[in-house]
Amino acid sequence: MTTLHAASRERTTTGKGRPTTANGLAPTTPGGRGAPAGGLAVDLTALRKTYGATVAVDHVDLAVAPGEIVALLGPNGAGKSTTVDLLLGLDRPDTGSARIFGLPPATACAKGRVGAMLQSGGLPGETTVSELVHLMRALYPRALPGGEVLARARIADLAGRRTNELSGGETQRVRFALALVPDPDLLVLDEPTAAMDVETRKTFWESMRRWADGGRTALFATHYLEEADAVADRVVVLCRGRVVADGTTAEVKALAGGRTIRCTLPETAAADPDTATALGSLPGVRGVSIQDQSVHGRAVSLACTDSDLALRALLAGWPGTRDIEVRGAALDDAFLALTATNHDAATDHDGATNDQEEIDR
Amino acid sequence: MNSTYVRSEIRRSFRTPRYLIFAFGMPLLMFLVFSRAYGHGTLGGISVPTYVMVSMATFGAMSAVFGTGGRIAMERVVGWNRQLRLTALSGRGYVSGKAVAGFAVAVPSLAIVFAAGAVFHHVDLSAGRWAVLAASILLALLPIAALGVWIGYVAKSDNLQAVSGGIYSLLALFGGLWIPVQSFPIWLVDVCKALPVYWVAEAGREVLQGHWLGWEGVGVLAAWTVVLGVLAARAYRRSTARG
Repeated sequence: MTTLHAASRERTTTGKGRPTTANGLAPTTPGGRGAPAGGLAVDLTALRKTYGATVAVDHVDLAVAPGEIVALLGPNGAGKSTTVDLLLGLDRPDTGSARIFGLPPATACAKGRVGAMLQSGGLPGETTVSELVHLMRALYPRALPGGEVLARARIADLAGRRTNELSGGETQRVRFALALVPDPDLLVLDEPTAAMDVETRKTFWESMRRWADGGRTALFATHYLEEADAVADRVVVLCRGRVVADGTTAEVKALAGGRTIRCTLPETAAADPDTATALGSLPGVRGVSIQDQSVHGRAVSLACTDSDLALRALLAGWPGTRDIEVRGAALDDAFLALTATNHDAATDHDGATNDQEEIDR
Repeated sequence: MNSTYVRSEIRRSFRTPRYLIFAFGMPLLMFLVFSRAYGHGTLGGISVPTYVMVSMATFGAMSAVFGTGGRIAMERVVGWNRQLRLTALSGRGYVSGKAVAGFAVAVPSLAIVFAAGAVFHHVDLSAGRWAVLAASILLALLPIAALGVWIGYVAKSDNLQAVSGGIYSLLALFGGLWIPVQSFPIWLVDVCKALPVYWVAEAGREVLQGHWLGWEGVGVLAAWTVVLGVLAARAYRRSTARG
């Protein structure tokens, strides 16, 4: 996973989906195919979709500017795939609207503005990869040359293969290639790496990033938190059909609350029943979790709003503290905190964080 | 209609063994067996081998055209139809491409049985008459094409084989393709004449006698085409609305 982190993109976004470049200018519209200046790549407004008594998507608003790489993050059943289907016009919303580059989804698709990898989709049989690419090229008003499609998706070696002879990961790479055929301005990927092994996943995101580096827009649904963290500029967290967080990866992480200090307390302090309360009242500490007695003392986790302040106070109060680790909240901490809070709104913040830490360990 | 898509569909059809067995292999085998099973007399005014040739040619062409449904259903299972909906290919283009591929396979399936008739039973027709015979059968298969599309959109993946196999066999049986209707009781003949497939073979047999199908047959086939066409269109719309 560190390989993904190392390749993180350098982009900045301000607030909710209004990205700017470092110099404060709006990013240029890629492709030059007539997107109106300032127009949105994706514009979902008050989308709602129910299946019987189940509310799959509940008043989702999502605006993605051209050039953004956005992760749609959420647990299974959060409404990611329904949102993607509504965005692409594969399903009709009960209320609300979806627009892609200002166009109805079907029109944007027919014009080749959008490439998509749908969830758990397969390929038809009795055909080869290069024949499929050839077919898809004929189904768009304009298309990349076949050789370029194969090269961009790094599947030149698969060109002559029958689709039924491909592994799950190879099938996904071919489906990615097909999504690139119309040379789209927006790429929509619904859990694209689901069938891939770690190495293939890495290669896949490299291909994706290379594609997007031209300033193009991508929206991908995933429940792999590290992918969202490493690949996306912006993370939209969905839970139970609602957007529960929307911001840069750093902002979403911050929502879960700063950093965590982990350390081992000396035996004497650990034996004192008042230690937990004392730790909890330290400046900058928001939550305390004390783990089981170990051989040398007790492992303690402190959820912090200000870890610098907390660490100074901790060392002043318990000079024998050792094995100190300070780490930034991982995106999965944030994710669990956000979705857990949403599950039980009555839980107070600290309680939720502590519960979440128990789950996380 | 997108010619690359249609060519791709035809090529894929010719690479599907289980499909070709029913479109080419079975009708030929059944023709070779049954054309000698009913003696040397006449049936419905034409010689027995010629009668069986038309029945089995119809059976093969029907298999090819009806098979469109199974192909649509398979693509729904893997989600390929959804992927195609994200292209400029229209829904009508998708369905008609499938149907055209079905008819494209039907042409050689007719030719194979016709060739066997000419070689083994000296069925001797002018080139023009062969062509009119083939065209009549193909045209009369329109309701079967609509039926295939309908089943392709309503069948669930777990019951597709059973449902389509069952309907297909009943159509052939009660179309008098496997057993001539002359050996059926009168009430059953009436049932056969209310169903489309009897009239498909009849369209061919009438050509061999220098006639055309006549209004009764055309009426039955047209009625089925309308009913099944509406059902297919509604199932298609429901399927695409749901996604």
